[in-house]
Amino acid sequence: MSAAPALPRAWRDGQLAVLLLLPIALINAIGFILPVLNLARYSFNRSRIGGGIEQVFTWENWAGLLSDPFYLELVLNSVWISLAITLTTLVVSYPIALYLHRASGSWRTFLTVLVISPLLTSAVVRTYGWIAILTDDGPVVSAIKALGLPAPSLMFNIKGVFIGLTEILMPYMILALMAGFGRLDPRVEEAARTLGATPARTFRKVILPLTLPGIALGCLLCFVLAVSSFITPKLMGGGRVFLLATEIYDQAIVTLNWPLASTLSILVLIVFGAALWAYSAVLRRLD
Amino acid sequence: MPTTSAPDEHLRLEGIGVSFGAVNVIPSLDLSVRKGEMVAFLGPSGCGKTTTLRIIAGLNKPSRGSIMVGGRDITHLPIHDRDMGMVFQSYALFPHMDVSHNVQFGLQMRNVPAREAEKRAAQALEMVQLGHLAHRKPKELSGGQQQRVALARALVIEPSILLLDEPLSNLDAKLRDEMRVQIRALQQESGITAVFVTHDQVEALSMCDRVVVMRGGRVEQFGTPTEVYERPATAFVANFVGRTNRLKGTVTAQGTLTGAGQQLRSATRLPAGAVDILVRPHRIRLQETGEADNKVEGTVSTITFIGDLVQYGVSVGGEEIVVEEATRRGRSPLAAGDSVTLGWSAEDTLIYPAGEK
Repeated sequence: MSAAPALPRAWRDGQLAVLLLLPIALINAIGFILPVLNLARYSFNRSRIGGGIEQVFTWENWAGLLSDPFYLELVLNSVWISLAITLTTLVVSYPIALYLHRASGSWRTFLTVLVISPLLTSAVVRTYGWIAILTDDGPVVSAIKALGLPAPSLMFNIKGVFIGLTEILMPYMILALMAGFGRLDPRVEEAARTLGATPARTFRKVILPLTLPGIALGCLLCFVLAVSSFITPKLMGGGRVFLLATEIYDQAIVTLNWPLASTLSILVLIVFGAALWAYSAVLRRLD
Repeated sequence: MPTTSAPDEHLRLEGIGVSFGAVNVIPSLDLSVRKGEMVAFLGPSGCGKTTTLRIIAGLNKPSRGSIMVGGRDITHLPIHDRDMGMVFQSYALFPHMDVSHNVQFGLQMRNVPAREAEKRAAQALEMVQLGHLAHRKPKELSGGQQQRVALARALVIEPSILLLDEPLSNLDAKLRDEMRVQIRALQQESGITAVFVTHDQVEALSMCDRVVVMRGGRVEQFGTPTEVYERPATAFVANFVGRTNRLKGTVTAQGTLTGAGQQLRSATRLPAGAVDILVRPHRIRLQETGEADNKVEGTVSTITFIGDLVQYGVSVGGEEIVVEEATRRGRSPLAAGDSVTLGWSAEDTLIYPAGEK
């Protein structure tokens, strides 16, 4: 023990940091970076009919993607629907998160568990649950019909996907919002009230700005999850709702066109990159 | 029972009570504060002082009773219409606004034109000597600076009452002394009625015109600092405000007071029975040579040097009396075991029925 080399402290700490980071760096490299690089490489291969892949370097997939209005529409559609779903999820989750943030003790614990509990069931099961609820002879449509209103079609179209995804994403949104509500101090709200702010103005001038970090985080998370979700759109869209994720699935599994599926996947990654950039831009402005 | 209102009364609490279920946190509180005076709510934690302040601000709802400001009943007025300036212990500045916008906030809520709001905020910040920090964010300021911003923010709206909730408790001792002087000066300059919640007797006595000593949701005493210190209404007040010795004693049927094994004289009269005798340590002379209302023989048992004070523990009979003396240079101190004659006046001999805490 006495022969331990007298290394400079900073150097030893640096070594330790590298050592501690090595496992996760390895896992990330093998499990994420390499496959993504592989995927990027695939997007330059040529697809043969019947699922064959020709190892070449061609821009055909990318050129085809950018010149075909179907794909442009697909991307815009996916981004637009995901944004709308994210916004809806935010609006319905925000009051719940705010209430949970203010609740205390065992009541808060109970409600938090209640919020998280849907995550214990797989999205597939919950999606089938929604199908049962929203289907043409389901309880919701029946109730609307009983009121004498025209029966809406809520299933196997974009409406169903919208409702289902919103509910599925709510727990994530609520947790992200609560994580970002740290700056919201009840005393600060009270200060605003004593200074003459009505509850509405307190919300707009104090609560909303102070919860923006949570809103940004929740929206980033839910947007990414919405764009990449494919079980719910697949099952609830009834094959009539075309989104990026479902198209990737179709190309990879049904058509066996892996190069095109890879190209679309990289496109999704680019969309995520843009979302992440927007998120950090918002955070920078808040600081 | 409503007290008769003074002609210059500004704030008045009538039968204010707070109950949580069956628990009476505040049974019934009556209080009258004059225009332009600063009143301290002093008491240990849990005595209801902060709750009462928050009721005045409208942040808590009383279970019963009413609050009047300038003769107007504001009990059911929403917080934002009450026109109170409040300073919180944790400063509660808006972290997303710079100092100037923090101060302007109340003016904006009153729809003061932007240019005027900016001007008045600048003046208010000058008043607390922070004009040069107007464009900093609160987190870039020290605790003392933040509390001064909070003060400027509360005063700039020229509220009818300034409410201060332990504003100095998060500051270090030296800063606290400075802020005490500054808050008092600002309050007197503006002539604003102020309520100051604190658990620190020094703050209450040194800053305020009158002090409400509270315990368990009740008012123990409401009086000037001198009254509260010199003529504590209860043994609790005597103990809480300043230090004190407590001796067991009795009052005989003839009205004679005995304690520390001998007859004592007090300016107060109590009916016959067991009593507690309270004497402040610094009102006792250690080596009494002349005449004194009360003279007691004892032996020095402990000596504690505090700096500006020396604290002597003197055993008298079976009891220990603490005596405090200002330290003086060139004076030979007493030693443990020395015999001393303690002397103090009848006015300084406070007596209360025994067992009162």
